[in-house]
Amino acid sequence: MTRKSINKADNVAITTNSLMPRTQMPLRTLMISMTVMCYLASLAIGALLLITRAVDDWTSEISGEVTVQVRPTNDAKMNDKLAQAASILKATRGVTSVDILDKNAGNKLLEPWLGNAEILNQLPVPRLIAVAIDQKNPPDFEILAKKLSETIKGASLDTHRRWQTELTRMGSNLVWLGIGILALITVSAIALVIFASRSALDVNREVVEVLHFVGASDKYIARQVQWQFLRAGLQSGLIGTIAGLATFFLLGISSSVTSSNGLAAASYSLLIGTPDVTFSSYLLFLLVPILTTLICLIAARLAILRILGNAI
Amino acid sequence: MSGPGSIVSLQNVGLRYGKGREVLRDVNLELQRGSMQFLTGPSGAGKTSLLRLLFLAKRPTRGLISMFGRDIATLPHKSLPPLRQKIGVVFQDFRLLDHLTVFENVALPLRVSGKKPNEYRENVIELLGWVGLSEYADAYPPVLSGGEKQRAAIARAVVTQPELLLADEPTGNVDPALALRLMRLFRELNKFGTTIVIATHDTTLIKKATSPVLVLNDGQLGFEG
Repeated sequence: MTRKSINKADNVAITTNSLMPRTQMPLRTLMISMTVMCYLASLAIGALLLITRAVDDWTSEISGEVTVQVRPTNDAKMNDKLAQAASILKATRGVTSVDILDKNAGNKLLEPWLGNAEILNQLPVPRLIAVAIDQKNPPDFEILAKKLSETIKGASLDTHRRWQTELTRMGSNLVWLGIGILALITVSAIALVIFASRSALDVNREVVEVLHFVGASDKYIARQVQWQFLRAGLQSGLIGTIAGLATFFLLGISSSVTSSNGLAAASYSLLIGTPDVTFSSYLLFLLVPILTTLICLIAARLAILRILGNAI
Repeated sequence: MSGPGSIVSLQNVGLRYGKGREVLRDVNLELQRGSMQFLTGPSGAGKTSLLRLLFLAKRPTRGLISMFGRDIATLPHKSLPPLRQKIGVVFQDFRLLDHLTVFENVALPLRVSGKKPNEYRENVIELLGWVGLSEYADAYPPVLSGGEKQRAAIARAVVTQPELLLADEPTGNVDPALALRLMRLFRELNKFGTTIVIATHDTTLIKKATSPVLVLNDGQLGFEG
């Protein structure tokens, strides 16, 4: 960067060139690598958000409903048992609705595993009662399960806890995996900046020596270099993050947002959904250029001070 | 230890690079404040190494060096810059920064010390005029001749009116007339209190001056005059 002003009286232009020649800095390579890392970090953050929200939605759906299973037995008619179970459920505090699934609906759930519904009609398939519960004020499932099993032979309560636990565990593992990837990207970025700082000093060794001889302190020299790294970090962070956001945006608009509940719809809602969702998404994405800039600034400064500190 | 008027004191100083032989051996030297001396000796005698010790580019392998009242051997790294700001150096190979203009190169010590261009502009332009480089203020070093680079390097070394000026072959690339003019500049600085050490092979220059001569021979320092 060169600033220039001309005093007409003396006709001498006063230039203020950067003391560290920008053209000799290994910034282009650093910027390319950092941009790729920021892009990957943005993808990782987006994936983390998608996973977290999906797991939240699934567990919320599951925990809002329990199922009562009534197995056929010889001692009573199935319809009587179902009616009895329904009346117990309706009388239970915390149950908001009770829906006895007809036999065909139950068979349809088994179809993918056991084949067509005709055969299922001949088998002693249990009947299901879908029970919606008030999540804020849920019933005591232990007491309810005991009451059902004691009152109705062959009745059992499935709270879906096992699935919920599995889902939560899977979601948690994926989140930790994402955080691990982000940590690795951060460590690589720091290593890259340190390497680039060393290269910057190597390339400009003569400049550094002269600056030392004219009385520049290590901090002064570090300042000459760190601002160039800061600018490179900010540019890389912005480009990488915008590219990451563009990827999710393209993914979101790549299929119909109204008809699909898959990755595309989730990506769409991540960026163009309700304000409370998009605000937190953008806030997290914004962290990428901010952290990249800070990493470039701090890692470069510390690396340079350490290297210069080892001189005489 | 150094006396009250002493700006630099070396006692039994030795210097070796890595595991090589000692390039300086048992050097004892006392530079009085405001003095001016020449340093001479055959090539490879250790002149540049001695200057490197004096402009704080190296620490001695043994012996004591005291500069401006500070013991260099025990001085922490962060205390070196203020001392270096008191020293002006003219390098044999000029060490001008090619990406800065002549004006910026000359003004570099002032810029590093935190002064703003408006504060030093007039002084630098005047100094450039003195060394005959007014027309080259906006030029970059690669377009200058050896002599012009030499003059720019000298201007950079003296622009802060340092307490100690170390010059390695400062007149090696200029014609005799300009060499005399530069010597006059050094003497003027010396009159204002700057201690000066000029390393040179130029016996004519040494003979014309009346200053004492330090002679380095195979790493050992002797005195003439």
